[in-house]
Amino acid sequence: MHSVATVDHHHEHHHDTDATDVFGFWLYIMTDCILFGTLFAAFLVLNYQGMTPIGLKNYIDLQDVLLETFFLLASNFTFCLAFLSLHKKKLFNTGVWLAITFLLGASFVVLEIREFIHIANEGFRWDFNGQASSFFTLVGTHGFHVSCGLLWILITIIQLPFLKSSTNILERRMTYLGLFWNFLDIVWIFVFTVVYLMGAL
Amino acid sequence: MTRFFVFLKWTALLAVIASLTACGAYSNGMLNPKGFITFEERKLFFDTLALMLIVVIPVIIMSLTFVYHYRASHRTDQYKPNWSHSYFLESLWWGIPFVIILVLGILTLKKTHELDPYRPVIGHHEKPLMIQVIALPWKWLFIYPEQNIATVNYLEVPVGQQIEFWITADNAPMSAFFIPQLGSQIYAMSGMRTRLFLSADQTGDFLGMNTLFNGDGFAEMQFVTHVVTPEQMTQWVNNVKKSHDPLTDAIYTTLLTPTINDKSRSFSEAPTHLFYNVINTYQSSTGRYHPRSNGEKWIKES
Amino acid sequence: MLTNLIFGNLTLEAIPFHNPIIMGAGLFMVLIAVGIVGLITYYRKWTYILNDWVFSVDHKKIGIMYLILAFVMLLRGFSDVVLMRSQQAIAAGAHHGYLPPEHFDQVFTAHGVIMIFFVAMPMMFALLNMAVPLQIGARDVAYPYLNSLSFWLTFVGAMLCNISLVVGDFAATGWLAYPPLSEIYYSPTAGVDYYIWSLQIAGFGTLFGGINFIATILKMRCPGMTLMKMPIFVWSVLCTMILVALAFPVLTVTLALLELDRFFGMHFFTDFAGGNSMLYINLIWVWGHPEVYILILPAFGIFSEVVATFSQKKLFGYTTMVWAIAIITLLSFIVWLHHFFTMGTGANVNAFFGIMTMLIAIPTGVKIFNWLFTMYRGQIILATPLLWVIAFFTTFAIGGMTGVMMAVPPVDFQVHNSLFLVAHFHNVIIGGVLFGFFAGIIYWFPKAFGFMLDEKWGKRSFVFWVVGFYLAFMPLYIIGLDGFMRRTYHYNNVAYQPYLLVAALGAFCVMIGILCMIIQLYVSIKNREALRDRTGDPWNGRTLEWSVASPAPLYNFAVIPTANEIDSFWYDKQRHLAEGHVHPKDLHFHPIHMPKNTPAGFVIAIFAGIAGFALVWHMLIPGIIGIVGMVAAWVGKTFSTDTDYYIDAETVKETELAHMKQMI
Repeated sequence: MHSVATVDHHHEHHHDTDATDVFGFWLYIMTDCILFGTLFAAFLVLNYQGMTPIGLKNYIDLQDVLLETFFLLASNFTFCLAFLSLHKKKLFNTGVWLAITFLLGASFVVLEIREFIHIANEGFRWDFNGQASSFFTLVGTHGFHVSCGLLWILITIIQLPFLKSSTNILERRMTYLGLFWNFLDIVWIFVFTVVYLMGAL
Repeated sequence: MTRFFVFLKWTALLAVIASLTACGAYSNGMLNPKGFITFEERKLFFDTLALMLIVVIPVIIMSLTFVYHYRASHRTDQYKPNWSHSYFLESLWWGIPFVIILVLGILTLKKTHELDPYRPVIGHHEKPLMIQVIALPWKWLFIYPEQNIATVNYLEVPVGQQIEFWITADNAPMSAFFIPQLGSQIYAMSGMRTRLFLSADQTGDFLGMNTLFNGDGFAEMQFVTHVVTPEQMTQWVNNVKKSHDPLTDAIYTTLLTPTINDKSRSFSEAPTHLFYNVINTYQSSTGRYHPRSNGEKWIKES
Repeated sequence: MLTNLIFGNLTLEAIPFHNPIIMGAGLFMVLIAVGIVGLITYYRKWTYILNDWVFSVDHKKIGIMYLILAFVMLLRGFSDVVLMRSQQAIAAGAHHGYLPPEHFDQVFTAHGVIMIFFVAMPMMFALLNMAVPLQIGARDVAYPYLNSLSFWLTFVGAMLCNISLVVGDFAATGWLAYPPLSEIYYSPTAGVDYYIWSLQIAGFGTLFGGINFIATILKMRCPGMTLMKMPIFVWSVLCTMILVALAFPVLTVTLALLELDRFFGMHFFTDFAGGNSMLYINLIWVWGHPEVYILILPAFGIFSEVVATFSQKKLFGYTTMVWAIAIITLLSFIVWLHHFFTMGTGANVNAFFGIMTMLIAIPTGVKIFNWLFTMYRGQIILATPLLWVIAFFTTFAIGGMTGVMMAVPPVDFQVHNSLFLVAHFHNVIIGGVLFGFFAGIIYWFPKAFGFMLDEKWGKRSFVFWVVGFYLAFMPLYIIGLDGFMRRTYHYNNVAYQPYLLVAALGAFCVMIGILCMIIQLYVSIKNREALRDRTGDPWNGRTLEWSVASPAPLYNFAVIPTANEIDSFWYDKQRHLAEGHVHPKDLHFHPIHMPKNTPAGFVIAIFAGIAGFALVWHMLIPGIIGIVGMVAAWVGKTFSTDTDYYIDAETVKETELAHMKQMI
């Protein structure tokens, strides 16, 4: 009787702390918003060609951007499927959908790196001028966040068998990862609008 | 009421001047204005001080008297442990500061426009004397484009005529141009141009300086401003032109080298469009290396 | 090739063997470190120090560690004061003093950086950790492991700054490292990189602390404590942490962009190739202005607590005080341009920011009047914490006044970057922040350590600090008005020398004040039995932290309290006194759920330090080790499920009964 009460108390306590923990992660996302906001501000200030003969608009390939957007958005969809599988306690399916998410996200990063290498080889390197620096840094920071997310997805897949008895911990961590992954999607929408669409037009 | 503030203002001014005079330091700055802009700025300083003292003096007095009167060892029957609210008092100390700030705000708006560095000096309608200023590592180059002469570390200007400065920097970090007794200060930035208007109301020699820390030679980056009569000015310009010591590109390159405590000198000729060229050098540059580095460091190792 | 990958730009030349002052200071630091290690080894306390302190996730211990860090760095930052004041006192006219500009420039930069980032911020987090969870009736902060990480990151940042004294140099750019001076062309040495990385690391610590305390205050208040019933200190901390969460990411980005400029040759802030130094100045002050409000708001909160407690009276105008804090918080984001009126923006922009700055004076003034009228008709006890508050009223009023004066752009055009500015900000930081933090430390010291601080030496340190402050800074106001600029190692006009001699005397008085504080600590420890706080409520306090033993037990509250009104503890006491007896405390004890200590925070921070040092010197392999180590430690911790435990009911009961026996 006494032990059951303790377990209940423990379980209830975890639910309370889960809400607080997710709240904290939202706070972190808010600070990451400010971070990207500052990078956008810097980009908007420095985004001009001035007296130089070449500028960002010479290097924008909207097809590339379209493909990258497709991969990232698709990866968000497959992540949601992974999350739903976890909710239904189907850990194997979760792993599969996470792996597909990883592949889609990795494709995004690979495409982006290829784009960077191509532009740099054409002469528009990050140390060329302010516009180049802010382009590589803003887009690159988003890509870096995505890469960190990929590492996180990998670790989650690895941890699935370890934590299969504590699905509440798994769900909580997947909530964080989901928030993070969706957040990056939203930032990407701003990136391709401000940097690529506005730059090309 | 205004007489009281005028009294406060003058007492404060006198106290400060007295202390400065006592030490003979009554020389360089805002308290000893020699130009219209500084004169106005000093007036604004003391007006603001008076407005602020309306609140500050009662606060200081209350902080000391309340503590003294209500100290626990001084038993009073006025102890009201739960009294914590009063609409009347709250409206007093929200309202009075609000009115003071309103007055100050209006004064600020008006004076910020009147004393805007980019705006010609009020009351002066004559054509300004144009001087271009280049902040170099740790000295000042002054170019008189209309007279086609230049000086290093000293200015000669006529009394009564407003002067328009165009200011930039070259091979120097962000600096600031300031002649405290004549006018405002403004930043000097390479690749950019700032402007400053001021006028001198009295003849004399006044100190000019850099106010924004820009490296080891910062403290010594000072110059002298000679304010002279228009006749003396014309004579000085003619003397300089006759000196046959032009500012060549080669000499300008030596000026770009970081040095401290340069002697004043003058040049009988300045390259046309030097000021524009300096700004353009920065605006049109690309790539990894500073346009003035020439593959070397800013301060070469000795 | 391999040596290059391991050592990067680091060579033996980086150690300034030829400079006796630096070598002396370095030797001193090494001796202290060796001394501490030696003492711990001699008394065989390594397991205790590591398990109970270094790996602790307990907010009370973390608070004490922050306090120790702040005080040690205060001594370091103050040694910079001694150097600067003595140099300026003698370097007049023909004499150039003993500090050449290359050295002097690093001293004033280090002074600013250390005092803001490694003294004021840690002192603030010390007080937050010591007081907030207890004041809201919680067992700990929301994220104890993150709390430990925050502290160790701050510690590592401070150590990186200290290492720069003996290995390489520090930035010589001023505490905000404006470009283009801080760019690689004008500052090619490792100094600015040390600056960037130590601030980045410490900055992350602060940011995590901000997230932690927002979640703690919003989610972990005890039952009945609605937002409008919280202690006012907690309100000020909540708003401060919101400022931290919104402002510190801007600092992170700005410093990162500067580092990209230096490391990869990028052009965010360079003066050529499309860079814009004005962008840096805007961004750094978008962070910088909220930063100074981050410092002052907790001090305001402390004043509210101290004034109410020592006037034995309810805080006047609680609701207005909350509104005033909220308005100050909001306004602090739209005033940043007043730090560079002279950069050449137009009159309308200058006037807007000037007027916004002046508006902040209104809620600040409201708070001061509310404090004054809390004292009005109170019964005031002149203990040392209250003395600091009284000094604050006058000092901060003068400092705030000069601030509003400089908010008028044409006035600023005359006094910007002069000693008038320096006097103003020291006036508000010392008179506001430091006096407030000193009051808070003395006030909450018994709660943290179990005994009071000696009153006599406390009052002596107070006198020397206040007299020293006025002597040191009032002359600076005067010569600042006369055109004496800041950051000058030498000046030509000898007529200024008497003022700087008085200022040096003031610095000397403050030094005596600090010495008195050290003696106060020593005397208090020596006499701790006589000064013991047996009841847990030495000041007859009003808020919940005084309802537990001193020092507080590990779990804070045996039973989470209920708080149905402002100052609930005070009114409970009054009711019990009126009823003529003390209610027995609830004697039904339950097991208490506690987080386990973990080395993860400490380990991650150490690897961050290795990475930081490596990045400063472009050491590729150590850099990779540092970064991989950080990530590995962090990820490794997530595999662990053994993160908490229960204190059994018997232990809780014994602890509580022991406390009750002490009170009788």
